[in-house]
Amino acid sequence: MRHQFELETAKTPEALKRIVIEPVSRVEGHGKVTILLDDNNQVHQVRLHIVEFRGFEKFIEGRPYWEVPVLVQRLCGICPVSHHLAASKAMDMIVNGGILTPTAEKIRRLMHYGQMLQSHALHFFHLSSPDLLFGFDSDVAKRNIVGVAAANPDVAKMGVLLRKFGQEVIRVTSGKRVHGTGSVPGGVNKSLTAEERDYLLKDSDQMIAWSRDAVRIIKGLHRSNPALYDAFGAVPSTMMSLVDDKGALDFYHGALRARDKDGEVIFDQVSYQGYNTLLTEGVKSWSYMKFPYITTLGEEKGWYKVGPLARIQNCDSIPTPQAEEERVEFVAHGGAKPMHGSLGFHWARMIEMLCAAETIKDLLLDPDIMGADLMAEGPRRGEGIGVIEAPRGTLFHHYRVDDNDLVTYANLIVSTTNNNTAMNVAVRDVAKNYLQGHEITEGLLNHIEVAIRCFDPCLSCATHALGKMPLEVTLVDATGAEIDRMTKDSEGRIGK
Amino acid sequence: MNAPLPKRKLKVATTSLAGCFGCHMSFLDIDERILDLVELVEFDRSPITDIKHCSPDCDLGIIEGGVCNAENVHVLHEFRKNCKILIAMGACAINGGLPAQRNSLDIRDILAAVYAQPGRGVHIPNDPEIPLLLNEVHPLHEVVKIDYFLPGCPPSGDAIWKFLTDLLAGRTPTLGHGLIHYD
Amino acid sequence: MSDPKTFFLDEEEIPFEEGQTIIQAALTAGKYIPHLCYHPEFKPHGSCKLCTVRIDSRTVTTEDGQSVKIPGRAAASCTTPAQAGQHVESEVPEILDLRRTLVQMLLVEGNHYCPSCEKSGKCLLQGLAYDLGVMDPHFPQYFSKREVDASHPDILLDLNRCILCELCVRASAEVDKKNVFAISGRGNTKHLICNSESGELGDTNLAATDKAANVCPVGVILHKRHGFEVPYGQRRFDKAPISDNPVQYAPVKEQV
Repeated sequence: MRHQFELETAKTPEALKRIVIEPVSRVEGHGKVTILLDDNNQVHQVRLHIVEFRGFEKFIEGRPYWEVPVLVQRLCGICPVSHHLAASKAMDMIVNGGILTPTAEKIRRLMHYGQMLQSHALHFFHLSSPDLLFGFDSDVAKRNIVGVAAANPDVAKMGVLLRKFGQEVIRVTSGKRVHGTGSVPGGVNKSLTAEERDYLLKDSDQMIAWSRDAVRIIKGLHRSNPALYDAFGAVPSTMMSLVDDKGALDFYHGALRARDKDGEVIFDQVSYQGYNTLLTEGVKSWSYMKFPYITTLGEEKGWYKVGPLARIQNCDSIPTPQAEEERVEFVAHGGAKPMHGSLGFHWARMIEMLCAAETIKDLLLDPDIMGADLMAEGPRRGEGIGVIEAPRGTLFHHYRVDDNDLVTYANLIVSTTNNNTAMNVAVRDVAKNYLQGHEITEGLLNHIEVAIRCFDPCLSCATHALGKMPLEVTLVDATGAEIDRMTKDSEGRIGK
Repeated sequence: MNAPLPKRKLKVATTSLAGCFGCHMSFLDIDERILDLVELVEFDRSPITDIKHCSPDCDLGIIEGGVCNAENVHVLHEFRKNCKILIAMGACAINGGLPAQRNSLDIRDILAAVYAQPGRGVHIPNDPEIPLLLNEVHPLHEVVKIDYFLPGCPPSGDAIWKFLTDLLAGRTPTLGHGLIHYD
Repeated sequence: MSDPKTFFLDEEEIPFEEGQTIIQAALTAGKYIPHLCYHPEFKPHGSCKLCTVRIDSRTVTTEDGQSVKIPGRAAASCTTPAQAGQHVESEVPEILDLRRTLVQMLLVEGNHYCPSCEKSGKCLLQGLAYDLGVMDPHFPQYFSKREVDASHPDILLDLNRCILCELCVRASAEVDKKNVFAISGRGNTKHLICNSESGELGDTNLAATDKAANVCPVGVILHKRHGFEVPYGQRRFDKAPISDNPVQYAPVKEQV
């Protein structure tokens, strides 16, 4: 068996050629990949670097707690609802011990499933479908959603309108499509009017039908080329997600379950309140993103994947009928063992989108979403942990609040961070199988990005610049006057 | 007889610096209108295409996010050099946005706090492949000349649509009540 | 009964009562003049200058027959008494530009991060900026580093957003009779302080029901454990611009 961290670090990096993919495109946020090759194009090192650093955890300290659900969603514009709700769940613990009225919980669920629908639609249609429909090394000029719209207008339109519906569910529940304010510590600030309910309900059957069509599209692609789809970017690993108390798929709430690469349960129904002993966050010098692992298994063996592929194979069932049918088919395709090919993420993702569309309709038909009882009260506490299944996987928010109502501690493990090691393993697998010994072309490099896109990573932030970064950077304004300057010494110490 | 020359599509490049991609999401919130828009414009470097660097003849550069590290500076200069018109889109591009809340703290303290591992000391990522952070997050107009500003966190799809259609029609973009928002 | 007195605001005839300032008469007549430090219940302060108007500009004809406008004097309309026959300019490009610049300076001086501020949607500075069409900050951001004072059980102070309008100072002194707030320092160091030995709000006798605790036009004086309670889209300036229905800012007529 190959080593877990094969190709992570070359023995003699200075003697090798460096190829960089930056920015990684058609993902949310910026990352870059560096590949070190020898003269025979043998791959010695592959790394996905996350160059994001914004320090939210630190500057949240000192802010009043009720501001946090609105503030932290600015971490991410693609799945802001996840942060909005994970922070709200943590703050619920602080303001009332974590209770919600039926209306508040269902409005939050509606918001969240709306987000799951829009984010999965965006990811599949706008970002990944060009690779899958046209080929990984197809014409770079057409390999985007505009190209899809030209070649397959019905598919593009379906994607655009599915996303639009999900965004409208978010707008109706939170006031705004991106960065709304619907959820507050202890509840929500609005429920739905009959008009709002009817407005969403009229399109809900169409969305279920289109989601089912989307599952058929990806299932068809998968079956048309199982050699590629089952094996590409294979990441045999532990899988972790929330499941509800019956072991069923639930995006909003539940307890943690993990299965090993063969599908055996490692732990189950573990309360996420103990996440910080369950997980340890490792650090590597070459990425601002941390590398979490299951503490008891250690850094080498304890890493895991989260997100659709983990969730669909971790749960025992899906509560909505059509998605459950599709789940059963998905699991049957894998046979006795779980699927670990990265492209399986897309199939699993579309099943989740179908589940979201069905759940939205169920919630819209529930009279509680028009209730007036929005806030719950209970005893005050000093600490709260909120966890949710975001579109990209399990998302952890943890806060402490002092007696003066200010945040004194914040720790966040975002979904993509959980997948950090898995993504690196996937790109190394692709590099080894597709790049090894070949003349490197744009199309071959796109294979690396295809693997990253499977994870739908949300890298949010900045990158660019070929070659080594300067050890000193001076920022000047338009007149040449220095307005900022930073230096980094040979030990990596940062100074001014 | 020569056929009339096709009217050239405007070349639009977009990027996110120290932003959250929410402005790009809001751009996609023009929904079906994106299918009309691509009749008028073609996308150059952008997170939704695989073009990694700006063509030298971009007409419009749209940037979300402020400037927080050395790479942001490089990308911003690439956009200024290659785009005739630059638009700062969203709160972060315009005043640094929420990431600029770190400006009241020392970046060394933030890094030390974030990368402290219980029992294992502090390991701040320092590989040459990851960009050096600036001491403060800066709005775009403090670094290069910006031609237009489109506020919001993010500006709504409707605001972006109004702004771009004004611009494409040769009008000075205006938003007005209901479309101008800072949040 | 004597003839009603009038002046002209942007060429429109506005009635006024003896002793009224220009802004009072304008607002009573349903004409909006932007303002931040003016408040109908307190003594005028004349510090924010947003209500600046130009009074009695003249147009003269030069020897070669050209019309030239001689600008009148600029004055804060909240401290300038209305006078019969006066010609006052408010909604003219030069004055609007001046107001925009003042708003931009206020926006860069403090940490006005509207996206996470619970006053967003009902903040007068923001509402005014929207009304004036302020799209950019123009000036470099100052990035103030002031403390949050959370020592009071019910009220929180985020001093990074203070625009020094002194509405809270006047409310506390004139209405609440408590003198909880004051302004200290000059120029760059000018800032809001609390009148307690520790300097902390928690050691003052401010009550959440005091006028001073409910008059802040921006997001400085906040009620704890409440925020984002009004849904986005239903907040004050989501529904109508700040200039809508100006009589809401007019002095309340005393019952005779």
